[in-house]
Formats: sequence, structure tokens, C-alpha cells
Amino acid sequence: MSTSYAGIDVPDSALQKATRLGMVVDQNKCIGCWTCAVACKQQQNVGIGLYWLRVLTVGGDAMDVPAGTFPALTMSYQSTNCFHCDNPPCVKACPTQATYKMPNGIVNVNYDRCIGCRYCMVACPYDNRVFNWRTPVQDPPADVAVVGETPARPKGVVEKCTFCVQRTTDGLLPRCVVACPTGARVFGDLDDPNSEVSILLRNRPSYVVFPERGTQPSLHYLIRTGPDAVGGEL
Amino acid sequence: MSSVTTDTTLAPAARGSRGFAVWIGVLVVLIVVGLAVWIYQLSQGLQTTHMRDNVIWGLYIITFMFFVGLSAGGLIVASAGRLFNVERFTPIVRLAVVEATVTIATAAILIIPDLGHPQRILNLFFHAHWLSPMIWDVTVILIYLVLSLIYLWLYTRRDLAARGSWMALGTKDTSDAARAHDYHLTYILAWIALPAAVLVHSITAWIFGLQISRGFWYSAIMPPLFISSALVSGLALVVILAFVVRRTGRISFDDDLGRFLGGLLAVFLAVEAFLLLSEVLAGYYPGIPTDAVHQLFSGRYAPGFAVEVVVGLVVPFVLLAVAAWRRRPQVVVVASVLALIGIFVHRANLIVIGLGRDPIALPPGTPLGTPQANGSSFAVSSVYFPSVWEFLIVLGIVALSALLFTLAVRYLPLKEKRTA
Repeated sequence: MSTSYAGIDVPDSALQKATRLGMVVDQNKCIGCWTCAVACKQQQNVGIGLYWLRVLTVGGDAMDVPAGTFPALTMSYQSTNCFHCDNPPCVKACPTQATYKMPNGIVNVNYDRCIGCRYCMVACPYDNRVFNWRTPVQDPPADVAVVGETPARPKGVVEKCTFCVQRTTDGLLPRCVVACPTGARVFGDLDDPNSEVSILLRNRPSYVVFPERGTQPSLHYLIRTGPDAVGGEL
Repeated sequence: MSSVTTDTTLAPAARGSRGFAVWIGVLVVLIVVGLAVWIYQLSQGLQTTHMRDNVIWGLYIITFMFFVGLSAGGLIVASAGRLFNVERFTPIVRLAVVEATVTIATAAILIIPDLGHPQRILNLFFHAHWLSPMIWDVTVILIYLVLSLIYLWLYTRRDLAARGSWMALGTKDTSDAARAHDYHLTYILAWIALPAAVLVHSITAWIFGLQISRGFWYSAIMPPLFISSALVSGLALVVILAFVVRRTGRISFDDDLGRFLGGLLAVFLAVEAFLLLSEVLAGYYPGIPTDAVHQLFSGRYAPGFAVEVVVGLVVPFVLLAVAAWRRRPQVVVVASVLALIGIFVHRANLIVIGLGRDPIALPPGTPLGTPQANGSSFAVSSVYFPSVWEFLIVLGIVALSALLFTLAVRYLPLKEKRTA
């Protein structure tokens, strides 16, 4: 488990040796503040109107609206980015191998090869991919500190969460994990039984989205528990 | 004999030269406008369309499917007629092959404006991913296009040679023996063309039907439904074109062929209705309110489904089922036009409803890529209607299709001499 102290990232070689990088999001800890989504946009220079990471409200009629009827109300969030499925339908669908599965489990996109047909977006059951309908606009301008390490995307290509591939291949944690103020996001190797993600999944009830579709997501949610929690799945 | 052919095929062009020039002029203007709009779209990106991340594909793909269907239907009718020796088809078989060739070329072109990076289209060949149904489709469409061209050339090369046309491509022999030889070759080619035509539209169906992400599409009935849609629309277009081209004198047949084709179209419409019923009933019966099938009966897209069923299936079927009405060419043509409209709306419904249901339900919303009027960046509902730019580009490509067809009708010998 690598860590970050006062903005200084400490690499962890375990992440570099991982064979199935995955994430666990604890719904008991998530407060729906969108810090992960903002950090993601900064790190990856994601254009206005595009989100690689969204914080979904479970059950309500609108964002930040609780589920249920007063007084039996519940509130929980499902912070969602690409699930980096083990059986990714997008990778199967891509006609040019522009989206592909890396040996460490990350589903990545080659922005120089993508022809912009959007078949991967059709194939994704989770709406986790976005298309550059125009040249991405950054306002305020892109963060110069990360421009160099984040590949620029032109208009006309599909993009999505890469588990911060430029960081994780260096043994650093994805930016959303570092930024989360409550530590709700945990990152590690799902194939390693001693990783924090594996231990959490062994000890806490969890779910993945649409398990019946056989995509085998690498992002798991720890189910909200406690007296005020009813359910927790969308 | 060759002089007779030359006379009958060249005379009408000289007669109708004024109307012909206007027609060509209109088509060229539409093509130029479409091309200009496409260049504008290239400069702005696909934000000029009304497609967004919730409805990812739109008018381009709908029209693409429609044209693949037109082509497959035309070639299935033409090659099945040849294969099973349906002599009645003989006067229109070349026309049907021209229709199939032009429409498949049009379908291929329709993909280009849908791409975000059309200049990288060769990546489809350099980096082909063989698990992707889209690569299967690209491959089969190209093979099918070549096959259609060969088929067309085999049908016409002796007549072209008799005229001294360069399009005979070196064929000199115009003897009856050579014609008999070609006639046999078309029979062999029909054996390949018929399954190829079935395959080309099945694979197009699998682009949609193999995606588990889209419940409205993920169904084994998609290929048969696509084939039946293709038969309806392909035959309908061939019927319309046959009656239009007959007015120029470039092909000739008696009205009884119209009656026969009308009856065949009625059968195809019944098959389409049956498959559609099977699909809708299977979605409707379990009574799951979130199933996309319910959008067919209530909500924004319900009128489209009503048009599809009433205008596209019931009315033309009734018109064609009554033998006395079917004898009148006007009725057959009107029924064909309605059937064409119905199939187009059917395909639009399939795409827009299939995509418009967010896989992950709102309230979270789908990011749209551009800020919305309500200040949010998220979809509040999944609606799609094409932008004027999309219409102009599609109109330009359809005009190109009409131009190719017009030129083919003008310069190719479409009259089939042979009987038996």
C-alpha cells in the first residue's frame, strides 16, 4: 500500500507487480463530496462537461436526494468510474484494438489509434466512457503540473478512467484515492490475498454493478451498514 | 441485335435531356452542400450533431442500417430469383443488382461522417480486432460490394461489348454461346450472392444484437428481424425503381409483374410483423416496467412505433393483400413507399430507444460532454432528434446514391434479352 504525505507521493513496488489492479469504495465512509471527481478532472485534464468519475446518489429521484419515503429515508453514494472489468465488453467491441487490457488489469485507451466510432460506449453497460464531441475545453486552463504526464486527447476520441495509469505504473496511487478526505477509496491488487482491497472484500459484504452481465468488474462497493442504512445498491 | 439494344437504351436520354439535366443539377447541389457541411463538422467535431453520450449513435447509423438492408433485400430477391429460376424476375434482375450495388456503396460511405477520426479509418485494416462485430461487418461489406460489382458486370458485359463500351473491360465475344456461358456464371454467382446478402445484414444485426449492455438489442431475434426488414425495404425500393425506370423505357415489363411483386411484398410484410410481434411480446409479457419495450407504447417515441406498425405494416399489407388492388401499379408503388417509410422508422426506433435507456438509471445521469441549458453537464432525459447538419450530410450522401443509380441506369444495358 503506497501512501501520500502532505502532497509527497511514496511509490509502492507492490502496485507495479500487480496482476489485477482493483478498487474498493466503502459506502460507509463516502460522504458524496465529489472531491474524487474534481481531483480526477485536475489530474487527467478532463474537459468541461466530461466526467471520468461521477458520484451517483443511490435510489433518489435526483442527485443528493435520499431514497425512500419520510421518515424512512436512506442516503448513500456510489462513486463510479471505469470498472476495469476482467471481461471487458468495450475491449471486445473495439474494432481497432484502441482500447485494450493491460497485464496489470487496467483497461486503457490508445488515443492515437481510436477512430471515434463509439462502439465501446455502446458495449459498456455502465456509461463509464465519454466521447470528445468537441475539442476538450479546460476552464480554468489545464493544470500545468500534470500536463506533461497526462496524454492530450483531441476531439473525436473516446476517453475514460485509466486508474491513473501514468501514476500506477510508477507505483503511485490513483489521484482519486489520494484525494478522498474520508479514505473511502482503497486501491490495490485483487490477485494478492494480503492486499488491503482483498482483506476488505473478505471481511465486509460488498457488491459489484450488474454482476449478471458477466463483466467481472474490478471496482467493488462495500455495502452501507448501520442503523440508518437500508440496502445500498442502485 | 446489338443495334436494337443501342437504340432502345440511348433514345430516352436524348428525349428527356432537359429534365435529366435539372435532376442531375439538383443532386450535385445536394452533394456539394453535404460535403461542405461535413467539412464544417470535421472542423467543429461531432458536437454539430445532436448525438451525445446518452444517445451515442444517431441518424448516420440509422441510415447506414437502412441502406445495408436495402442492398441485402435487393440482392436476395435478385439472386433468389436466379437461383430458383423464377423467370418473372428476369426483366428487373439487372435493376435489382444495380440497386444492391449502389446502396451497399452508400452504406459504406454513411459510416464516414459518424467517425470522430475519419482520417484514421485505415486503422480498421492495420489494427483489425477480429473479436469485434464491427470488423466482421467492414470485411463482409467490402467483399459483398466487390461481389455485387462482379455480378453486375457479368450480367451486362456482353451487351456493353456489343455497344463497344469500355466498361466491357476487354470482353469482345457477344455471341449467343458467350451469353449462355455468362448466364450460367450468374447462376453460380447467385449461389454465393444469396448467402452473402443474408450474411451482410446478419452481421450488421450482430453489431447490435451481441451487446449485453443494451437489453433492447441483446436478443437472438435480431438477425432474422433484420433480414425480414431488409426483404421488405429492398423489395419495396426495387418495385418503386422498376416502375420509375420503366417510364424512361430502359426496362420493360408488364403490369402483371407489379402484381406478383406486390404479393411477394405482402408476404414479406407478414413475416416482418410476425417477428416484430415475437420480439415485442417477449419484452412486454414479463411486465417489467423498466424494460425498454414499454417506450414503444407510451412516451416520446410511441408515435414512431405507431407509424412503424400502422403506416409501415398494416396499411401496405391490406393494400397488397386485396388481389384487385394489387393489380394496379399505383397501389403497389404507394404500398412500397409506405413500407419503406415504416422500415426506416423501425430502424430509428431500434437505435434511439435501444441507446436512449441509460444502462445505469438516472438520477446520477450521464455526462454529456457539453454544458446544458439547465446548467448541468448531465443528461436529465435521453432524447434525440437529428440536427440540421446531420440531415444535410445524410441528404448529400443519399443524393450521391441517387446520382450513382441514375448514371448506372443511363449507361448500363438493363434490358435482359434472355428468357430460359
